[in-house]
Amino acid sequence: MPDDVPAVAASEHELLMLARGLIEGHVAEVGAIFYRTRPLPPAISTTCAALMRETLAHVWPALWRRGGIAGTAPGGRIWERHPPVGLTFSVATLQLLRWLVATPFAAPGPTYPPLEAASLTAGDQVMVYFALDAATGTSAQAVIAAQPLVRAAPLAWLGFAELFGGRSPPELGGLCHGAAAVVVEALTSDLARRWRAVELTKRAITSPNALVTLGAAQDAALGGFLAACDQHRRRDLAVFVIDAAAPLLQRGIAPMPARLDPTSPLASRSAARVAAGSLLRGVMTWAQWDQAHRGVRFIDDDYTVAQRLLARFEAIQATGAARAAAWLADLAALVPTTVPPSAATVDRP
Amino acid sequence: MSRAIQVRISESVVRTIHVEDGVASPLEMLPILPPERMAELLARELEALGFVRDGRTCKRTEPDGIEVTVDLETSTVAVKLGAGAQIAESIERTMQVAIENKDLAEASVRNTMVRDLDARVADQTEELRRAVTARLEAKVADLKVELDGAIGRATVGALTEKASQLGQIESTHEDEAGNVTIRVRL
Repeated sequence: MPDDVPAVAASEHELLMLARGLIEGHVAEVGAIFYRTRPLPPAISTTCAALMRETLAHVWPALWRRGGIAGTAPGGRIWERHPPVGLTFSVATLQLLRWLVATPFAAPGPTYPPLEAASLTAGDQVMVYFALDAATGTSAQAVIAAQPLVRAAPLAWLGFAELFGGRSPPELGGLCHGAAAVVVEALTSDLARRWRAVELTKRAITSPNALVTLGAAQDAALGGFLAACDQHRRRDLAVFVIDAAAPLLQRGIAPMPARLDPTSPLASRSAARVAAGSLLRGVMTWAQWDQAHRGVRFIDDDYTVAQRLLARFEAIQATGAARAAAWLADLAALVPTTVPPSAATVDRP
Repeated sequence: MSRAIQVRISESVVRTIHVEDGVASPLEMLPILPPERMAELLARELEALGFVRDGRTCKRTEPDGIEVTVDLETSTVAVKLGAGAQIAESIERTMQVAIENKDLAEASVRNTMVRDLDARVADQTEELRRAVTARLEAKVADLKVELDGAIGRATVGALTEKASQLGQIESTHEDEAGNVTIRVRL
């Protein structure tokens, strides 16, 4: 081995490979690490720490590659639109990575050691987001989402609200400024894809309680985030709601749960249908904002931003908003309309 | 050598149960006149359908016990049905045990029997609840048609009132599809 190649312990190699896999989105590699467990010494070497720093420096490009390059703001690509902003990582990132390497996800649940809550930086939250993303479709995802550290990450709530049913979200205002806001902007396409995918699953849910739990978590996350965007004058960060809903509204794919257990109480089924409208309620908030944007005059300070947001909302327009309102009314109706099962697919925009 | 004895245990339970199911939904009233006036017009139509007005609510209890409550202030309708029953269940079991284990075995079997009785009561409660839900579900479709009619008539009333505020009503025509044309001389 050449002298200039840094040497680390096998467990540290695993830690570094996991970090690289999460950042680069190498799902198969990460999945393999999730399902084998390796004991870790209490500390990492200085060589490993240096390599970890180098690995984490690739998080920004990884975020740009996730499709947020073309945003709502003019001025070119995302790194041209914003001045350089540092993405900091705390010890929580290392705790998360160590926990992911050491946890035997293949073992039954009660043996999982808990990942205690900690104060999270924007960089830490990105790593949490990447971990949940890499675990999509595996039993490890629910285990990761159940950890106090993960539940305390606002970015995790924004991307994976469906995993946090029955819990209250943390304060989401921190996502509307600083490096976290740039992260959310970079993840716009990713967030839209996720929310749309969950929306499509609602049609096949049979348990009213499951849908009520899902809807409550989505309402808490989306409602909290939209309110925070409004408060911080960063409505542009919530354009993923438009991108998620527009194709569904255009194709008439309502989140109408057509297969709810017919033996369950009518009250539960009714509550479930109302809960299914979380994303539509987000669209209605956008429709209200759109009305306000139309009233911004040329001489007003916010004119440029308002025009940009008006252009973004054109994907939905008043007709889409009216359709969303009609679907919400139908979801809350005494006797909802039965949705034909034929229209349950949607192309990616 | 231990002696075997036969133990006969019986447990029974008598419980009064009450189940309820219901659904609430907003009423789609067009804001043609101020909300208070729209509420008045709707209340008038509901009274014609047998609802009894009590302040800001209109209530009707169907012969089958279904309660329909319209909140005029929030424009919502709530439909609910409750049912009660008295459930009496008993179990008797006989077993052979060694005399020195009698108390222990009896306690164990008694616990199992109590759990079985609880399960039977739960099953019957669920059965009653499903019956209530089925009756309610059969009713809400008819009720929706009835309420839609009342809302439609209240809306026509509101439009007529609004038209009379604009000028002299010359004619009012309603076609078979329910479309209403009001001709007004300004």
